[in-house]
Amino acid sequence: MKIYTYAILKDYFDKEFIVDEQLVTVQDLNNFLSQHNPAAATILSACRYAVKDNFVTDDFILTTEDSIHIIPPSSGG
Amino acid sequence: MNHLSAHTIDIPALLAMAHHPKAGAVVLFSGETRDNSHGKEVSYLEYEAQEALAEKMMADILQQAKEKWQLNVAIAVHRTGKVPVSETAVVVITASAHRSEAYAANRFIIDKIKHEAPIWKCEYFTDGSKEWGGNCNCREITGDVNKHVYEFEGK
Repeated sequence: MKIYTYAILKDYFDKEFIVDEQLVTVQDLNNFLSQHNPAAATILSACRYAVKDNFVTDDFILTTEDSIHIIPPSSGG
Repeated sequence: MNHLSAHTIDIPALLAMAHHPKAGAVVLFSGETRDNSHGKEVSYLEYEAQEALAEKMMADILQQAKEKWQLNVAIAVHRTGKVPVSETAVVVITASAHRSEAYAANRFIIDKIKHEAPIWKCEYFTDGSKEWGGNCNCREITGDVNKHVYEFEGK
């Protein structure tokens, strides 16, 4: 699956990267990334996840073909 | 109409689009780059967006407001890229028969954009430092990244 990060998350991860591990849900992905980079765990826990331009819940089932956008808390305006 | 712009927002042009024969009130909010933040002098802001989602969400927010307050016009444009001090980062224009609806809807729209739209601000300071700023922290209150505390609700 391909991961896209934005804003402050780019201080912790590449802007785009591939995850090859067999991860079932969004929560699994969150846990994997938090373990991979513990310094990002707090901000990851506050992020939303989007697939195909829709936000998805923690129990959303991922496929290896998915592109997953990790959306930090908004700070527009 | 695009709701994100990488270029200077032309406010007079947007305001010209907001006049409507059934509207007795037009409210315009312009969010602008302030020259200070966290006690430091701001050089400029830089905005980033997940553009597909942000466009879709801003369109949805405007539609919600139009239906809730029977607006004649609802416009919102947010900048991406570098926004110098005193320039507009976001503009919201609402037009309705009477001012109370135009004011309320305008506040609803800007609050929803600030809390929900995937748009992020990075503050660049004159001392050379930078900081991703002003993140929505409602999760600390609501316990849910999808639940927010809005100013328009008076909370």
